[in-house]
Amino acid sequence: MFKYVVRRVFQMIPVFIGVTLILFILRAPGVLPGDPVRMITGERGMTDALRQQIIEKHGLDQPLYRQYVIYLGNLLQGDLGESYQRGRAVTEIFADKLPNTLRLALAAIVIEAIVGVTAGIISAVRQYSFLDVLVTLSTSILVSVPVFWLGMLFQIFFGIKLKEWTGGAFYLPISQMSSGEFPDWAHMILPAITLASVSTAYVARIMRSQMLEAMGQDYIRTAEAKGLTRRAVTFRHALKNALIPVVTFVGIDFGVMMGGAILTETVFSWPGVGREIFLAVGQRDWPIVMGGVVIIVFLVMIINLLVDLSYALLDPRIRYGGGPE
Amino acid sequence: MSALLEVKNLATHFTTRDGIVRAVDGVSFTLDCGETLAIVGESGSGKSVTALSIMRLIQEPQGKVVSGEVLFKGDDILKLSDSKVRAIRGDRIAMIFQDPMTSLNPVFRVGRQIGESLILHKGMSRREAFERAVELLDMVGIPHPRDRARDYPHQFSGGMRQRAMIAMALACDPDILIADEPTTALDVTIQAQILELMIEMQERTGAAIIMITHDLGVVADMADDVMVMYAGKQVEYGKADGVFYTPRHPYTWGLLDSLPRHDIDEKGALLPITGQPPSLINVPAGCAFHPRCPYAKDVCTTGTPVLTDVGEGHLSACHFSNDPEFDRRASQHPGEVA
Repeated sequence: MFKYVVRRVFQMIPVFIGVTLILFILRAPGVLPGDPVRMITGERGMTDALRQQIIEKHGLDQPLYRQYVIYLGNLLQGDLGESYQRGRAVTEIFADKLPNTLRLALAAIVIEAIVGVTAGIISAVRQYSFLDVLVTLSTSILVSVPVFWLGMLFQIFFGIKLKEWTGGAFYLPISQMSSGEFPDWAHMILPAITLASVSTAYVARIMRSQMLEAMGQDYIRTAEAKGLTRRAVTFRHALKNALIPVVTFVGIDFGVMMGGAILTETVFSWPGVGREIFLAVGQRDWPIVMGGVVIIVFLVMIINLLVDLSYALLDPRIRYGGGPE
Repeated sequence: MSALLEVKNLATHFTTRDGIVRAVDGVSFTLDCGETLAIVGESGSGKSVTALSIMRLIQEPQGKVVSGEVLFKGDDILKLSDSKVRAIRGDRIAMIFQDPMTSLNPVFRVGRQIGESLILHKGMSRREAFERAVELLDMVGIPHPRDRARDYPHQFSGGMRQRAMIAMALACDPDILIADEPTTALDVTIQAQILELMIEMQERTGAAIIMITHDLGVVADMADDVMVMYAGKQVEYGKADGVFYTPRHPYTWGLLDSLPRHDIDEKGALLPITGQPPSLINVPAGCAFHPRCPYAKDVCTTGTPVLTDVGEGHLSACHFSNDPEFDRRASQHPGEVA
C-alpha cells in the first residue's frame, strides 16, 4: 500500500513536467501574440529603463529553457511567481479563489451523487417504466447540452423571466457569490446545478447500467433463494456492487470540477479558480495561467490517487501492494 | 403418508422474441423426507427451470409457471403469498447453484453471507449468526473456519466456495436441498469431495435432496429416484435401480452409453447421442427425441408418447416402452454386448 502510493507520487513528476513544458512553449515569443511587458505596464507610455527593469524582474531576458528551470525550481519551493498585472503572488491569488471553487464543487458533487444515484436506481429497478424512460431520455439530452449555454438558460429563466412573471416576488441570483439581496447559499443554487448537470446525467446512466448488470448476477439469485425480500436483495446485494464504479466516477469528477468549472464560474461570475484562469488568459497573465493549471493538475492527481485508494475499501477484491493472495 | 414435496404437471414457459419456449412442459414427481431425487438431462432439458419453478424464482414477466401444482407439505407454493414463499425459501427449501465462483456476492464476507438467512429466518443477532456460520463452515470441512468466515469469496478456492454454498444452504436446517449441478464447475477430484460432503450432510440433517445433473455417474451412488428429462418433458422416471439397470427409454440408453465405464471391458469409444437437443420453441412433433433416436419408427414422428408404467412405478415415455421385443440388448444396440 505504502509502496503503491510512493510509486503513484513518482508518476506525477512526468505529468507535471509535461504540463508546464507545454505551457512554457505556448508563451515563447512568437507562439501566441502579446508582449508580456505591455501586459504588465498596460497602455501607459514607458521608458526604456522601466522596460528593462520589468524584463529583468520577471526574468524575461533569460533564454526560455533557463526561465523554465527557474520556474520549476521556484515551483518546488511553492512559489508560483507573481502576476504580471495584479502585482500579487500567484499563490496568494489562488489561496483566495480556491475555497470558492471548492465550495461550488462540493455543492455540485452532492447534487450529482444524490440526484444521479437516485435516478439511476429508480431507472434500473423500474426498468422500462415511465420514470425509466424519463431518466434515460433526459440524461441523453443533458449530456449533449453545452454547459455554458445551460447556465445562460438558467439565468434567463430563473433570474430574469421568473422575476418578471412573479412581479419580482421570486427569482434566483444569477451572478456573484454574495449580495445584500440574497443569502449566500442562494447564490450557489444555479451555478451548482449547472456545474452538476452533465455529471449528474452521467452518474444516472452509469448507476442504471451497473444496477441492471448487478441484478442479473448469480449472487442475486442466491440472495433471493435465501428468502430475502426484493428490497434487501436490491439495496443490500446489488447496490453495493453497482456503486463501486459510480463512486469512482464521482470522485474523479470532483477532481475535474476543481479545475473544469471554468465555464460555469465565468458564466455566473463566480470568483473561483476557473474564472481567474479565464480572465488571466484574456490578459496574457502567464504566471496566473500557469499557476492555476499547475494547481489544478496537482489537485486532480491527488484526488485520483485518493479515489484509487478508496477503491480498495469498496471492493475487497482489490488490494494494493500485494496483500495475502 | 403424504409426500414432502409433490409436483404435479408443472409447466413453465418463457416468452422470447422468437416465440414461446416451453422450458418445462408437464413434469410431475414426488419427494419424500430424506429421499434423494436426481433430475438428469442434457443442457436445456428443463432441469434448472424445474428447480427454479419450485422455488418460485422464475424471473417474470419473461418466464412464467403456466400450470401445475407444487405441493410442499400440502400447500401449493405456486399459490402462496410472496411473503409466505420467502419464509420457505432458504429456510425450508434451500438451493445450491452451479457456479460457486459467481453465486457468492463478492463484496460481502463469507460468514456474513452464511449468517444472513439465520438472521432472517431464525431471528438471530448478527453475532449469533456469525458464530453459527463458523460452526457451519467447520461442519462442511473448511479449515480455520473462524478466520475463513471473515474472508471474502475471492479468497476461497472453487471447492471451498461450493462448501460455503452448502453451509449457506444448510444453515436453517432445510427439509429440501435443491442442488443445481453443484459439481459441474469444479475439478473432477473436488467433485467427488463435494458429492461425498452432500451425502454426509444428508445423513446428518435428514434433508431430502433434489440433485440436478447432466452426469448420470454423479447420481448413481446417491439417488433413490431418478427422473430423466428431455426437451422439457419427463421421459423416464422411477427408482434409481430401475432406471439404471432396466432403462426403458432410448434416450436413457443413450445417456448410459455415453458414460465412461469400468465394468465392461471394451475397446470401443464412448457412444455419444448424435445430434443436438431440439430448440424448445420448435419442439419436433410426436416424440421430441425421434430425430436423434436410432430406433425411431413412423409412429414416433406423429404421436406424442405418454408416460406409461412399465412396472413397479417405473415410468417411461416411449411408444415401445411396454413392447417386450423392444429392448436395449435385443435391439442389437451396438454399445452393449453382454
